[in-house]
Amino acid sequence: MTATTPSSPRTRRRPAAAAAEPRSPARVWWRAYRHHLRLVRNAAIAWITALTAISAGVVATFDDRYATEAERQALTAMEGIPAFEALVGRYVQVATVEGLTLSRWGMFGILVAVWAMLSAVKLLRGAEEVGHVEALRAGLLTPWGLLASVLAALGTVYVLFAVAIGATHSALGMDAATSWALGGAVALLAATFAAAGALASQVAGARRQAVGIVGAFLGLTLGVRLMAAATGTAEWLWWATPFGWIGYLHEVDEARGAVFGSFAVLVIALVVAALMLARRELHAGLVGDGAEIATRPRSVRSQGGLAARLTAASAATWGIVLAVVGLAFGLLARDFSEAVADMPTMVQFAAEIGWIGIDTPEGVVAFVFVLVTLLLAALAAALVVGMREEEATWRIEHLLVRPVGRLRWLTSRVGLAAVALALLAAMTGVVAWLGTVIVGTPISFTDGLRAGLNAVPLAWLFLGLGVAVLGLAPRLTAPLTYGIVVAAFLLDFVGGFVDLPEAIIDLSPFRQLAAVPAADVDLGAALAMLAVGLAGAVIGVLAFCRRDLKEA
Amino acid sequence: MTSPGAPVVRLVELTKRYGRLTALDRFTLDIHEGEIVGLLGPNGAGKTTTLRTLLGLLKPSGGSAEIFGLDAWQQPVEAHRHLAFIPGEFAVWPQLSGGQILDLLGTVAGGYDKGYRDELVERFNFDPSKRGRSYSKGNRQKIAVIAALMTRAPLLVMDEPSSGLDPLMTAEFQECLREARAEGQTIFLSSHILSEVEAVCDRVAVLREGVCVEQGTLAELRHLHANTVEATYTGDPPDLDGVPGVEDAYVADGVIRLHVSGSPDALLKALAQASITGIQMREPSLEELFHAFYDDSADAA
Repeated sequence: MTATTPSSPRTRRRPAAAAAEPRSPARVWWRAYRHHLRLVRNAAIAWITALTAISAGVVATFDDRYATEAERQALTAMEGIPAFEALVGRYVQVATVEGLTLSRWGMFGILVAVWAMLSAVKLLRGAEEVGHVEALRAGLLTPWGLLASVLAALGTVYVLFAVAIGATHSALGMDAATSWALGGAVALLAATFAAAGALASQVAGARRQAVGIVGAFLGLTLGVRLMAAATGTAEWLWWATPFGWIGYLHEVDEARGAVFGSFAVLVIALVVAALMLARRELHAGLVGDGAEIATRPRSVRSQGGLAARLTAASAATWGIVLAVVGLAFGLLARDFSEAVADMPTMVQFAAEIGWIGIDTPEGVVAFVFVLVTLLLAALAAALVVGMREEEATWRIEHLLVRPVGRLRWLTSRVGLAAVALALLAAMTGVVAWLGTVIVGTPISFTDGLRAGLNAVPLAWLFLGLGVAVLGLAPRLTAPLTYGIVVAAFLLDFVGGFVDLPEAIIDLSPFRQLAAVPAADVDLGAALAMLAVGLAGAVIGVLAFCRRDLKEA
Repeated sequence: MTSPGAPVVRLVELTKRYGRLTALDRFTLDIHEGEIVGLLGPNGAGKTTTLRTLLGLLKPSGGSAEIFGLDAWQQPVEAHRHLAFIPGEFAVWPQLSGGQILDLLGTVAGGYDKGYRDELVERFNFDPSKRGRSYSKGNRQKIAVIAALMTRAPLLVMDEPSSGLDPLMTAEFQECLREARAEGQTIFLSSHILSEVEAVCDRVAVLREGVCVEQGTLAELRHLHANTVEATYTGDPPDLDGVPGVEDAYVADGVIRLHVSGSPDALLKALAQASITGIQMREPSLEELFHAFYDDSADAA
């Protein structure tokens, strides 16, 4: 006997054929791959465009900037100087456009590595921590499938990166084989650090731990490069780190096969290791996640206490990086200044563009502290993005529905961020001084401190601009705040290469940095930066107090 | 605090627009001391917008919201000294333990009853020693519930408060609400769980697409809607055509099912013409009322 049930319009179902859409594992995997590709797309466009454009700028302007043989030979003066190679990587064949461009990637490669490792950790351990992986794994996607879809999406991006570099550089006149070799090596460098991020995501019990592990890997590989440069003679050390391999892409080295082979072996090893560890319980890792807290944890008893704790947590990692960078610069200042002292043309050229006395340790500290300033500006942006995250996740609601005003909440966060930036700037200067003491050519303690504090107005400027974005366009806080820092730095760094008018380049706050401690603080520029930063902060705070809270 | 008799919560023509979308349209409501008022509505009806505007997290596009006579947007800090809030989704600070979060929120609120906190931790079977990131959704919600209740604030505002709690914990939570009412606390809660609203609320307001379509006590709402009548008979069926108030009548095979609005007097007289062997009449449940509001809406659309 059969029975029929009348269905109302509200309960009527779709036909069974339509509901039972075929879902093969391959189709599910393809969807996961596309999903991950979508997640990384915007950041990839920004990174690939920026780095390719900077590098292509070197190629495009080479003939004009180094028109004569003498000018090209002048470039070679820095070749083989250990202190310099410690900073930029293997520095050879720079009298040619191919050699000079390859040498630039000694620095750019660090940015590529940071981007790649953070993307992989975000897509794997980060997504797991916020619960997105559960939704993906609840279907037909296996742990291996998930990991493979993430790596395939990142791999796709890196292939496009390689094509962008190869096509632009060869179109601009660089040797085609070298252009494509550079593109391939950069893509493989990115793949190496993405695979390291994937492995760290399986080992760690939490995202923060995964970032720590892969950060340590980055530090180790850079440390080996530093040792390779410092020893000068132990060539095998250059081959012990992926950051050394790009330096062997020069045609004369005839080592491209070895470079690609080394990258391939390392990437495959890391991917296999990650795949072997991928079949684990959700949220588990080889190391604990620290879920249990100490029996008597330090209590957080006020909004200000919470703000201090959150600011300190963000600043701590950056503090370690700044301390390492400051110490390294201090240690290298003597060798660098002595090497440059033999090149009066370079000393004069540097003085003309504002970097006076780079044949002295004080001058070198002033010169390299531009990078410290960039790090502090990026930290300012990160601290503002941290404030926005409190709003986007609605954690801010727990405080604002209690007797805590918006003004108090934001001013306490901004105030603490400003203090953290000033303390870290001062600390970096002191650590650089310590480095110069260790190698026996000390700059004065006051000079070290001045070098650090010179960066404070610029860091506060970016903090203020970030707060303005937070108040006026909260959903754009991360891209705009980091974007302003990157744009300002590129304007100063690349503006000259691409012949932008001086008036435009002067808009970059980095251009206004005085060469402290070799020169005096530029009080006018510092006050202008402080005024703009303060205005931005005031506008941001007022706007924040008058608008709706906005979720992500 | 307010003068005697003045409402604890007063919404006057409260309106919130996002561009062209009107999320809340001229919502007026008074809640008096000691009352428990429920806010009902499907997703997107404007419940969370109402509560967030009341809490000063969103700026009203029109009208006003007051807590103890204090403007929610202009004087949020003063207003918040007298309330505690339970959100439907409680995002925790991942690096803090549950105990640290409770301590922080209690202190920031201006103080809390430590003994009651410990009692609530035990009643909700909550482990405060873990880091925030390791808590399940239900455990995160327990933090929100305990953090609000332990302050013994005179006004409790809740947005889907038992979301994520298991049935045992939901029952415990409802018991806490009854205790809060016995203590004289005022409660304004939005909920999807109709049985919860029916069990604890004195009054209900129903939102539909940002508009308050009905408010009153449950008894008042029931009177506005049809009762369900089920009867059995033998012999010839009664003639119910044209009986005032009767809708959806089904009469066949010895069974009568219908809805009747207003006085059942005419219906009873019509039924008396037949040989009735059993009869049952009941008021609509809140769930049936809820469906009635939204089915009406769908029909109108």
